[in-house]
Amino acid sequence: MNNQIKYLVIILMSCFFASPIAAQETLKENWDAQKIKGARHLPYPSYSGFPFLTDTWLPGKIEFSDGEIADSLFLRYSSYKDELVYFNQTNSAQILIDKASLKGFSFVDQNGISRMFRKQYFDGFIKGDRYFEVLADGETDLLAYRNVELTSTSPYKDESGTLKNMTYTNEYQFYFYSPENGYTLVRLNNNALLSKFKESDQKPIKKILRKSRVRVTGEESLIFAWKIIKKEGFKINF
Amino acid sequence: MKKITSILLLMIVVCISGYAQKESGPAIYTDRNTYVGGEILLAKIFVPETNSSRIIYLDLVNQFGTQITGASLEIRDKQANGYLQLPDSLSSGIYMVRTYQKHTARKIKALREIWISNRFDGLEKTSQINRIENLIPIGEKETNRIELEGFETKYPSNKPVTTNLKIAKTLLDSIDGDLLISVAQTNLSFDPGAFWVQNNQAAEGMIEKKGVIISGIVTDRKTSELAANITVYLTIPDSIPGFQYYRTQTDGRFYFLLDRYYGSVQAVVQCFGNTPDQRLKIKLDDFFAESGSAPKFRQEPISENFRNSVTQDIEAVTFQKVFGQRKSDLLPAPSVSLETYPYYGKASNTADPQLFIDLPNFTEISRELLPGVKFRNYNNEPSLQVLNNPMRNYFNEMPLLLIDGIPVRDLNLIKGMGTADIDRVDICQSERFYGDLQFPGVVAIYTTKADYSMLPESDQLIRLKLETIQEPAKLAEPILPEPTVPDLRQVLYWAPSAKPAETLPIAFSTSSVLGQYKLLVKGRLKDGTLIYTEKQFEVK
Repeated sequence: MNNQIKYLVIILMSCFFASPIAAQETLKENWDAQKIKGARHLPYPSYSGFPFLTDTWLPGKIEFSDGEIADSLFLRYSSYKDELVYFNQTNSAQILIDKASLKGFSFVDQNGISRMFRKQYFDGFIKGDRYFEVLADGETDLLAYRNVELTSTSPYKDESGTLKNMTYTNEYQFYFYSPENGYTLVRLNNNALLSKFKESDQKPIKKILRKSRVRVTGEESLIFAWKIIKKEGFKINF
Repeated sequence: MKKITSILLLMIVVCISGYAQKESGPAIYTDRNTYVGGEILLAKIFVPETNSSRIIYLDLVNQFGTQITGASLEIRDKQANGYLQLPDSLSSGIYMVRTYQKHTARKIKALREIWISNRFDGLEKTSQINRIENLIPIGEKETNRIELEGFETKYPSNKPVTTNLKIAKTLLDSIDGDLLISVAQTNLSFDPGAFWVQNNQAAEGMIEKKGVIISGIVTDRKTSELAANITVYLTIPDSIPGFQYYRTQTDGRFYFLLDRYYGSVQAVVQCFGNTPDQRLKIKLDDFFAESGSAPKFRQEPISENFRNSVTQDIEAVTFQKVFGQRKSDLLPAPSVSLETYPYYGKASNTADPQLFIDLPNFTEISRELLPGVKFRNYNNEPSLQVLNNPMRNYFNEMPLLLIDGIPVRDLNLIKGMGTADIDRVDICQSERFYGDLQFPGVVAIYTTKADYSMLPESDQLIRLKLETIQEPAKLAEPILPEPTVPDLRQVLYWAPSAKPAETLPIAFSTSSVLGQYKLLVKGRLKDGTLIYTEKQFEVK
């Protein structure tokens, strides 16, 4: 009897699922998604240091300028050229995604931390669109421009024994940004951070930071300090 | 055992109720029931709750099921508004306005009978009228919870009319979406039906979730087999051309999504063989749903009243044409972000040959004006190469060559192009990628004519005019006629998306066309019930 019921259930299920299965068409995945536009990425000259933000391809997603998202891409941010490179598996090619076509991108780094980059117009020295990493967002954002410069250094020999005198150097820059007031550069120390506030606010902020045992010495402490200050309602004096 | 039986019964009930839910179809309303060829038909569609498509189709078919004209409309808040331009050449008779979604078109369509008269032969040759029978009528419920405040039964011609629509609070809360309010001349001797054509056994197709989808199939001309692994291109020529591609699978099918276009667009669908001797054939699927079997008709004699009314309609429309009175105005299409630069990338160089001395052919133009472009025509065998600027050498492969944004491979098409033929040339001197497509440099020629006449007709290339999402339209504001020119409007008010409120003011003016008119309010309740209220009045 139990078997009969089982058969009945199977027949019923197959009847009701048959039509949707028949209706499915053989379609390629993401056939209607926006296509990525770009040019072939050519390898950078080999010097000491590292021109990319991460040393491996990391899974991430990009946001096109119209807001459409493309995910499951292998991404790598070139700090040296401020460009985003993705690996196209079909063509086995490293492709430099056109900056004009993007609004931003994000990926999860080797430590499992999600990192979000946003394309913004920078009106300071060397004007133009730049990718900024959003360290903290809100009314005022804390942004990082992960810049790497090719600088000269004392001569050294690379792995193949060639004598070289250039190196990729991290020149990260941190900014407070608000759409109304623009950018203001902040350095990684307590005094630099305090100088971004009104004089009347500096003393209470100093007190809060001391109470919270925060001293700005690096990127993490800057983010932490800013979050505490923001929570107390202090505003950046642009 | 009892428990198992009751579970089974429950399953059956759930499944049956699921099917019952699928059966509810769209409902369609038109501004009038009788038209004259050349007029515009305004339509309002209520889309079923279970809908997930962005597009619904509206088309006109004759009694034999032949599709005459149609449009694809955008669904907003489970409703759609649109119009059809009725061709001038239609012969007098019964026609059907259909509405359906492509994915369920075989399963369910709603259709509404209308009468269309030919301006030139009227009803002289007609004594019988065909009426649809044996179809499921779309049920509507008349409500008395919508009232018209201070509405008269008679109004003089060419006078303003104002009234307030009062909706009971209890009804207001249960209305789903917007209301249709219309005031139009009515033909009392013709009461058309609205029906659903259903076939629950039919399979569903692809849902147009994002926009209009055009599809087709590629076959190999030699073997007549479905062609797999063929890249099919869709180009919408423009100053920044729209472009899509689809690589066919074993079923030979391709699909393109048109989600950012409104109105008519010129398009080119093409494909190239994977080998030089491979010949292919592209066939596009019908844009509108297949006609299916025509409904059954019964014949009714034409009444004298109907005949007189039709004659009056023809006169009104003829004079409207004479005096250039429009029925509807197009509204600006919703703004959509189209591409800001071409799919092949920003040009590394752009040349405008018109700014230089006249050059007779493309060899001369490339030599004199196009940096990094090598076009040679030795022994009548043209070749084209582009400089790969980052690598400082020329690509070995032929670059992507475009004429007005349309990819071409035959270099003979451009060899004769001189200064007079070319508006501008964009060059990309690097290896470009668009999705999975790889272009070893790009040469994009924009012609002065921009009429795509250079493209050779073939089985591998289809030039077509695509009717994408219809641009919204509204009833034209009456242009105050000169005292000697009569106002010949037969539709006095058309508000297809009136937001329900306890009091809705309605203001319109009567025209010079005398006769019986109807103020109609149509809507849908949250439980799917279609409701209406109507009030008849006479313009004297």
